[in-house]
Amino acid sequence: MATPTSSQILPPKPSSSDFDIVATYRRLLASDPDLTMPIAAIEALVEALSHSSATTISETLTLLEHHTANLKRSISNPISLSAGTDLFRRYLYTTVQKPGATGDFQAIRNHLLSNGRQFVERTKAARDQIASFGRHFVRDGTTVLTNGGSRVVGALLRSAADASGGRTSIRFRVIYVLSPSTSSSSSSDKASTLEGEGAAIVSMLRSRGVPVATIPESAVAYSLPQVSMVIVGAEGVVESGGIISRLGTYQMGMLARAAGKPLYVVAESHKFVRLYPLGQYDLGIEQKVIEFKVIENGKEEVVETERGTPLVGGSARMLDEGVGMEDEVGKEEMEGVDEAVDFTPPELISGIITESGVLTPSAVSEELIKIWF
Amino acid sequence: MSTPTTSITPGLTSFLKSLKTKPAEPAIELLISLLKRRQIRNSRPCAIATTELLLRVVGQYNGSDADGLLRRVREVGQRLINAQPREMVVGNIVRRVLGLVREVAKDNADDVSNTTPSGALSPQQEQDGLSHPQRPPLPSTISAFSPLKHGATQPVDIPMSENLSDSIELPSRPQLISSATSYAQGTMPMGNSLFGIFQQSDTPSPSMTPLATTGTITPRVPTAQDFTVGTNRSGGKINLKAEVIEGINELADELQQADDQIAGFAMDHIHANEMILIHSVSTTVQKFLLTVARKRKFTVIVAEGSPNDAEETHDTVLNGRRKVTDELEGEDRFKPLHAAGIETVVISDSQISAIMPRINTVILATHAVLANGALLAASGASIIATLAKAHRTPVYVLSPVYKLSPVYPFNDEELIEYGDPGNVVDFSDGYAVEHFEVMNPLYDYVPADLVTLYITNIGGHAPTYLYRIVADHYYKEDVQF
Repeated sequence: MATPTSSQILPPKPSSSDFDIVATYRRLLASDPDLTMPIAAIEALVEALSHSSATTISETLTLLEHHTANLKRSISNPISLSAGTDLFRRYLYTTVQKPGATGDFQAIRNHLLSNGRQFVERTKAARDQIASFGRHFVRDGTTVLTNGGSRVVGALLRSAADASGGRTSIRFRVIYVLSPSTSSSSSSDKASTLEGEGAAIVSMLRSRGVPVATIPESAVAYSLPQVSMVIVGAEGVVESGGIISRLGTYQMGMLARAAGKPLYVVAESHKFVRLYPLGQYDLGIEQKVIEFKVIENGKEEVVETERGTPLVGGSARMLDEGVGMEDEVGKEEMEGVDEAVDFTPPELISGIITESGVLTPSAVSEELIKIWF
Repeated sequence: MSTPTTSITPGLTSFLKSLKTKPAEPAIELLISLLKRRQIRNSRPCAIATTELLLRVVGQYNGSDADGLLRRVREVGQRLINAQPREMVVGNIVRRVLGLVREVAKDNADDVSNTTPSGALSPQQEQDGLSHPQRPPLPSTISAFSPLKHGATQPVDIPMSENLSDSIELPSRPQLISSATSYAQGTMPMGNSLFGIFQQSDTPSPSMTPLATTGTITPRVPTAQDFTVGTNRSGGKINLKAEVIEGINELADELQQADDQIAGFAMDHIHANEMILIHSVSTTVQKFLLTVARKRKFTVIVAEGSPNDAEETHDTVLNGRRKVTDELEGEDRFKPLHAAGIETVVISDSQISAIMPRINTVILATHAVLANGALLAASGASIIATLAKAHRTPVYVLSPVYKLSPVYPFNDEELIEYGDPGNVVDFSDGYAVEHFEVMNPLYDYVPADLVTLYITNIGGHAPTYLYRIVADHYYKEDVQF
């Protein structure tokens, strides 16, 4: 889905403007821990814009399209960032198409270039707003179950914890799902940062006097009877109102539904992404979660991936040459299950807490439709 | 308390009577005390009383700016809500009126400065007939709340109520305000909420100017100033007040007509020879059933709603009206169901489970509907809805729009009101009174997924769609006021 067919005919590197969008994106993400993927993508595109000397609308749009395609191609899970790039593209389209604004392309460009930093601040403000809004969900005596290292969830819980110092003392507890086993076994920096974020939230809450229990993923069902609500973050909120989130969220959703506990999603509205997955394997990304292996010549070999059929391209080559996908170049590798995502269908979600209120999952499509049509 | 007692029992009628002579302030005090003493209770009387009181308050307001009027209404509303927080309809009406003021002020501002291109579609123009498809993009939750949606959020209230009054006599349901209309016009690309982060703060875009400096955080400040400027420029005191009063009168009309409008949809939902389960007593449901009874024969099972509503239910089944309530309800005198040719069976609440397999449709009335699609109804409703779900029986909830509250139920337990335990165990039963704690919750919280369809005076809506109706009727600024 994510990569349009046109990207195949484009050169692999944006040599046209000697601007490395992927490196910029990575640098931005690394430089600011508070930056979300969609916003980093927008930032990167703005920087690309500033490096280009494009003067016409269509030149700019082509350039951006090209950079976007590059970016999507080189990031293994482009769902979240595509929310940002899509938003940016639609914004440009609608702005230049707006009656009266046609002659003013330069102004739009200048606005984007000069205000790049402001976008980030706005998203941070949105996060605070979500936190102040979502705080009301956390009441006296509630026990919140959460997972992952979502910054919004962290902000929400912190906001609730801070409120407990004041007049409105909220006594709540948190059960935090951390999976230390996978992260310690993995050498990946990224995975440990993700876990680190979760751990940071845990220690932040504990230092504020909120009792936090950390449990492994296998203990979710066991802990549910104590839980009053589940609050999770999301990488992307898809058109059906479902969410794409860290692996394990789906099962938490199913268990919560089975136990009759509400599941609330906390996400900024720029994470709404135009995607309509019909199931787990319909996300348009390749994940190495399920791999069927046999031992052949004393060596483990992947014979089939989770999609059931040997894939064209990468996996076909892999089968032929007997090498793992790790050898594939130019692509950031998916770190097994640590970075994998799953899709939580909308019927498991009680509400999506955004900066503008609590939405039902069905409200998401309307917002997306409005910017696309 | 500053309540001069009239000869009749204090209640809605006496309040409305005294409102004619009283200045605003004592009237507010009177309503507060009536609410506190539960002498005005239930959604409709509360709504009527609040509307009439606010009409008075606006009428006697001396200032000239919308800002001040907003503050005044908000202040009065706050006092009323504090008096009886669980009558959520009071808050709804106050919010509707606040929305009216905002809208009128915005219209004036638009008329004067003509800055907003799509603002040209003023509600006045809208009022000529049922012009749903021509309406400017309807605000959805996000966008209505987003400050940059300035122009597009405009025609929320007035055209709505106007359409309502227009569409009473329509044989078929009026066109649904579907999401399609929201982008049909597509004139406001800038207003799209998801673009919030790109919001221009320094480009000379006309539709954005009023909000120039603010991000998404403080929407109230610029808009309020905007209103003030606009109204001052148009010298709009009389204008503003007159238009707001007109709007409130329309709101009052809506309260009067809501039941009839809901009944207008009845033929679509009840068919010949069906068995309908209703619960407790409600004039809305009564009208709904009587409308169908003119054409079709069917059976109604009435669960009596013991202990709080049993007596009223029996009265209604026997005589077509409740005995105990205010005499204003005299206008709600109906033929009893059986006199209209409906076979009526009264059962006690404990028999609901036994009868449920035979029921075709459950029809419930509400006390309040909440933003997430859940509802509060007379206690026992939750049992019925749960059983209906288990039997795959459709549950239709009749709720006028004014009962729809933008309040999100963060904690459903605090919404439940507890009533007189004497209804459960008689106070003369000394042993029980001494040894047991007797509880009598008046309402049930029914979660959204137990409801099949909400039938409001503007049509039938799935519970998941209610967020939209909320966004159409209330400004975000007014949700917490």
